[in-house]
Amino acid sequence: MKKLTTLIATLCFAATALAQVRDYREIKTPSLRKFSMPQPKRIQLANGMVIFIQEDHELPLVRGNATIRGGSRDVPAAKAGLTGIYGSAWRTGGTAGKTGDELDAFLEARAARVETGADTDSSRVGMDVLKGDLDTVFPIWLDVLRNPAFRQEKIDLAKTQANTGISRRNDEPGGILGRELNRLGYGPNSPYARQAEYASIASITRDDLIDFHKRTVHPNNMIVAFIGDFDGAQMEKRLRAAFESWPRGPQIARPDAAMTVAKPGLYFVSKEDVTQANIGLVQAGIERNNPDYPALMVMNDVFSGGFSGRLMQALRSQRGLTYGVGGGISAPWDYPGLFRVTMATKSETALESVEALKGEVKRLVNDPVTEAELSLAKESILNAYVFTMDSREKALQQRVLLEFYGFPPDYFEKYPSLIEKVTAADVQRVAQKYVHPDQLAILVVGNQAKFEKPLSTLGNVTPIDITIPSGDAKETKPAAPQGSNAEGAALVRKVAAFVGDVNSVQALRRTATTTMKTPQGEMEAELNATVRYPDAQRVVIKTPMGEIVRVVSPGAAYMITPMGTQDMPSSQRDASLGEMRAEMIAVLKNIDNPKYTFTAGAVEGDARVLEINADGTNVKWYVDPATGRVLRTVSRANGPMPGEMVTELSDWKVFGNIHLPATAVMMRNGEKSGELHLSNVEVNPTIDANAFVKP
Amino acid sequence: MRVRRTSMLVALLMLVASAATAQDLASFEKRTSTRVLDNGLTVIILERHDAPVFSYATMVNTGSAQEVPGITGLAHMFEHMAFKGSDLIGTKDWKAEEAALRKVEDAYAAYSAARGATRPDTAKVADLEKAWKDAIADADKYVEDNAFSQVVDRAGGVGMNAFTSSDVTGYFFSLPSNRFELWAYLESERFRNPVFRQFYKERDVVFEERRMRTESSPVGRLIEQFIGTAFSAHPYGFPTVGWPSDLHSFSATDAAAFAKKYYVPSNMVVAIVGDVNGAEAWPVIEKYFGRLPKSPAPPALRTVEPPQIAEKMVTLRETSQPIYVEGYHRPAANDPDSAVYDVISMLLSSGRTSRLYKSLVRDQKIAVNASGFNGFPGEKYPNLFTFLAIPSQGHTPDEVAKGIRAEVDRIKTEEVPADELASVKTRVKAGLIRQLSGNSGLALQLASYQTLYGDWRELFREVDRIDKVTSADIKRVAASTFIDTNRTIAKIENAPKGGAK
Repeated sequence: MKKLTTLIATLCFAATALAQVRDYREIKTPSLRKFSMPQPKRIQLANGMVIFIQEDHELPLVRGNATIRGGSRDVPAAKAGLTGIYGSAWRTGGTAGKTGDELDAFLEARAARVETGADTDSSRVGMDVLKGDLDTVFPIWLDVLRNPAFRQEKIDLAKTQANTGISRRNDEPGGILGRELNRLGYGPNSPYARQAEYASIASITRDDLIDFHKRTVHPNNMIVAFIGDFDGAQMEKRLRAAFESWPRGPQIARPDAAMTVAKPGLYFVSKEDVTQANIGLVQAGIERNNPDYPALMVMNDVFSGGFSGRLMQALRSQRGLTYGVGGGISAPWDYPGLFRVTMATKSETALESVEALKGEVKRLVNDPVTEAELSLAKESILNAYVFTMDSREKALQQRVLLEFYGFPPDYFEKYPSLIEKVTAADVQRVAQKYVHPDQLAILVVGNQAKFEKPLSTLGNVTPIDITIPSGDAKETKPAAPQGSNAEGAALVRKVAAFVGDVNSVQALRRTATTTMKTPQGEMEAELNATVRYPDAQRVVIKTPMGEIVRVVSPGAAYMITPMGTQDMPSSQRDASLGEMRAEMIAVLKNIDNPKYTFTAGAVEGDARVLEINADGTNVKWYVDPATGRVLRTVSRANGPMPGEMVTELSDWKVFGNIHLPATAVMMRNGEKSGELHLSNVEVNPTIDANAFVKP
Repeated sequence: MRVRRTSMLVALLMLVASAATAQDLASFEKRTSTRVLDNGLTVIILERHDAPVFSYATMVNTGSAQEVPGITGLAHMFEHMAFKGSDLIGTKDWKAEEAALRKVEDAYAAYSAARGATRPDTAKVADLEKAWKDAIADADKYVEDNAFSQVVDRAGGVGMNAFTSSDVTGYFFSLPSNRFELWAYLESERFRNPVFRQFYKERDVVFEERRMRTESSPVGRLIEQFIGTAFSAHPYGFPTVGWPSDLHSFSATDAAAFAKKYYVPSNMVVAIVGDVNGAEAWPVIEKYFGRLPKSPAPPALRTVEPPQIAEKMVTLRETSQPIYVEGYHRPAANDPDSAVYDVISMLLSSGRTSRLYKSLVRDQKIAVNASGFNGFPGEKYPNLFTFLAIPSQGHTPDEVAKGIRAEVDRIKTEEVPADELASVKTRVKAGLIRQLSGNSGLALQLASYQTLYGDWRELFREVDRIDKVTSADIKRVAASTFIDTNRTIAKIENAPKGGAK
C-alpha cells in the first residue's frame, strides 16, 4: 500500500515537473535589457567629404571603406557592363607606382586586402588589415582610391571574365528567371535592368574607365568610414591629413530613369535541360521614402515572412509544390522597386503553380489579414529589430547608408514606432493600392513539353528569346519601339481597309505551288499552310523527295521529314514565332496593340515605306498609298539562312471576305530564292485537333 | 636579395600574428565554458555581451554518410522534419493525431508492399494509394501549420535554418537574449519527441529541392556524377539529397528509426554565443536539455573506401557551358597530414598570388576560376582533394586539365619558396582572427570543431599545425596523392542540342 502511494506520489511529481514545460506560453519573457550601441563619430570636411569613425577593440583588425556615388545606372546603355570592368580593373590594374600584381604580393603577404567594386548606384574601395599593418596598407588604399592606372592587360582580363559570364548566363534556370523578370519589370533598356552584351563589353575602352573615375571620385561625392582596433582621434588625424587638401569636384546627380511598367500577360522562356519550371510574377514596386513603406513591410511579412508566411504555408507546407517560394514588394532607397513573386516547381505542376500564385496575390488584395496574422507579422518585425543594431559594425553601416541616401540619422530608431501603428486596415489598403492582380506580368522558364498542359491554355503567351546576341558588329538589335507616327497609323489602316475584315479571320489555310531554289537546283513543291492566329502554324510541303511537315507554336515546334521527327531548336522556333507576328494578316489584326508600332517613312518610287515593329520583329512594307496594296515586304531573316528577305507581292485576289496576293516572289540577299502561287485559300477552315501537337 | 628581405619581414609579421592567436585562444577560453550533461549532450557557451542577443548552433554528428541504399536522403529528410514540431507543438489534438499518423504509416506500408510486388496489381495499388492519401488528409486535420517556426518568428528569431552534409546535420538561429529560456525549451523539444506530421508532403518538398539543386542545374548534375564515380564503396558517393527512388519510397517509420539511432544526446553538440550569463544559463540548459533521454551511441561507420586502382572519368554532354572537376582521394580530417593538404590548397587557390589563379586565370586566361580544395564531399572520413575550374569562353575542359596538371607537377617536384609558404601561413592566422566575429558564425564554428574533433579548441590548434608544415611535407604528400590511378575526372562538355553522341 505504501509502495503504491509512493508510486502515485512519484507519478504526480513527474507530471508536475513535466507540466512546467508543457506549453511554451507559460515561459516567462523578462524585458529586454536596455542597451545603446556606440554610434560612430561623423566629421564633414570643408571639401564636402563625410567621414565616420567607429572604434571596435574586440579583434586586432582595422577596416575602411570609401563609398562613392555613381554606378552602373550612370553609364550609357551602349556601355552596359562598364562598371563591372571598372570595379575589377580599378584594383587589378594597379596604381601609377605599382602594378596590380605587385600589390597582390605585398598585400597577401600581410593577409591584408584592398579591393574595389561597383554596384548599381555606387563604387567602393575597401581595406581590411591586421592592425599592425595599418601604416603600410593605408597608403596603398589611398593610392588605389586616387591614382589607379587601369593597365590594359587587366582590362582585357576583366573583359574575358565578363564575356565568359555572358556566355554562361543561360545555364542556370534561376538566373534566367531573375534576370528576365527584372527586364519585364523595369523594361529591358532601364538602367536597373539592362545587361552587358558581347558588343557592349567590346566597346569599353581604357578611356571610358578613366572618365568614369574622373566623373565620380571626388571628396564631395563619397563617404569614408573606418572601424576597428585604433584610437579614434588618431584615425581622425590620419584621415584629415589624407583628404583635407583634396579639392571639390562636380557633384554626380541621381539619374532620372523612367520605368517602363511591365506589360501584363504571360511570358515564356524555353529551357529544356531542367525538371522544374521557374515561375515569376512582377509589377511595379515603391521607393523607400514612400509613407506606406511600414504598412507594406507588414504586408510582406504576412505574405512571405519566413516559414510562417502565406506563400510558404500554402504552396510548400500544405501542397508540397515547391522548395522555394517567396515574394513581396521591394523598396530601394532611391529608385522604384518591384513587386515580385518567384517559385520553382516540377514541370508537371507548372500551370497549377501559376494559378496558385495568382490566387495568393488575389487573396493578398481581397482577403483582409486576420488579427493573428497581423500580430505575428508585427511582433516578428519588432522583436527581431534588435538585430538591426547588434554590433558596432552594423551601427556604422547604417549611418553610412542613411548619409548616402540623405535620410535622417534617427531613421532606424523611429522605424519601430511606425510598425507599431500599422493596422489590419492599413495592410489591406496598401495591398489594394500597390498590388494589382490583373496587371501582373507572369514569366515561366522551363521545358513546356513536360508541363501538364500548354501554357497557352492560361492565355496569350509571349515568348522571350534569350539567345545570346553574338558580338558581331554587323548584327544590330531592332530598335526599341518608338511609338507610331500619325502617318504610319493612317497608312496601316489604309492597308487594312483594302485587305478586308481581318478580325473575322481566326485561321487561314493556303494551298499553293512553289518553286524553291535549293543547293541541288530548282525544286517544285505543293504547299499547304495552316495558320491559327496568333501563334500556331502547320506547313506541309510535298516535294519529289517526300513530305515535309513544319509546325511552329509556343508549345511545340518540330519538323517531320522522311528521316523522322525532330524538335526545332528553341532559338529557331522563337525566330519563327517572331516571323509569324510580322505576317501580314497577323499585323493587321494587331493595329491597336501597343506592342505593334507603325512608322511611315520615305517615299520610294510609287510606294511609301511603312516601318513596322511587330512586338519585337521588324518588317517594312512598301505600300501603294493610292490603293492600300502592299507591293513588297522587306525583313531580316535569322536562323539557319540569315539575310535580307524581299518579297514582291502581286496578283491580289478576293478569297472569302479578304484580299490576298496570289503571287509572291522571294529574294534573299538580292538573289531570287523562290516563287509561290496561291491556288486556294480557306478562311477559318476546320483544323484537326492534333494539327499542332507533336506526334 | 629581395626575396630574403621579404621573408624576414614576413617572419617578423608572423611572430605578431602568432602572438595574437595565442592571445585570442586565452581570451576565448576565459569566456567559454563547456559541459557534458548526464545524458551525454555537450553544450558550449561563449559569452559576448555587446548587444542583448544570442545565436546558437546544434550539430548532430550524423549526415548522409550514415545512410545505406534504400534510405539515401533520409538524414536530410529528418532535418526538414525537425521543423514540424512535437507532441506539444503543432497539434490541435495530439491523441487523435497520433492515431491518425499511425494509420498513415499502416496505409503507406500496404501501398508500398503492393507497389513493390514482383507483378504489381495496378487496381490494388491504386486503391491502396487512395487509402493512404485519405489517411493523410485525415491526419492533416490536426496539424497547426508551421507552429514551431511561428513561435520562433514571433519571439524575434532571425536566420532560422538548418543544413545537412555528408558528415553532420546543423540547426541554427538567433534570438533576443530575453528569450533564452524559450529557446532552450524549443530546441530541446524538437529533438525530444519529434513528430513526423506532413511527412509525405515534405518528402515532395525535398524532391523539389533535388530538382532545383541537382536535376535542373548543370553543376548539380556534374557533382552528383563526380562523387558517384569517385567513391565505389563509401557512402560519400551518395547524393545527400537522396536518389529519386529512395525519395519516392522511404517512410516516416524509416525516419523515426533513423532518428532514434542517431539523434542521441551523446552524438550532439549545442554551442551558444552571445549575451548569455553562464551562471543563469546552465540551470536552464540542464532543465530543458536534460529531458532528452540517454541512449547508446550510434555504431561507427564500417565501410572504408578501398584504394583506387584506376583513373576514372565521367563526361556530361550538355547544352550549357563547360566545367571541369578532378578529385584525388586523401585521408580524413584527423589525419596528421591534414594540415599539409590545407597548405597545398592555399598555395594553389588562395588569392591572386595563388598558383592556379596566376597560371590559368591571369596569364593563360583559359579559366575564370580555378581552385583546389579539401573536404569534399565531407571531411570526417577519407575524402577528395578536388580541383574545380570554370573555362573561359571558348576554352575547353581539356585545356584547363592540362593547366591544373602542370601546377600539380610543380607542387610534387619543386620546393615551395620560403616567402610563398610564409605568406600562406600568415593568411591562415589572419583568417582565424577574421572568423572570430559574429555570434552566429562563431556558434557554428565552435559546434563544428567540437563535433569533428571532440574539442572546439582545435579551431585554434589547427593554425599551429599549419604553421609547422614544411616544403618537404608538401612534396611528400603531393607525390603520394596526385597520381593518375588516384584520380577521378568529371566534366561538362558543351554539345549543341541533339549533338550528344
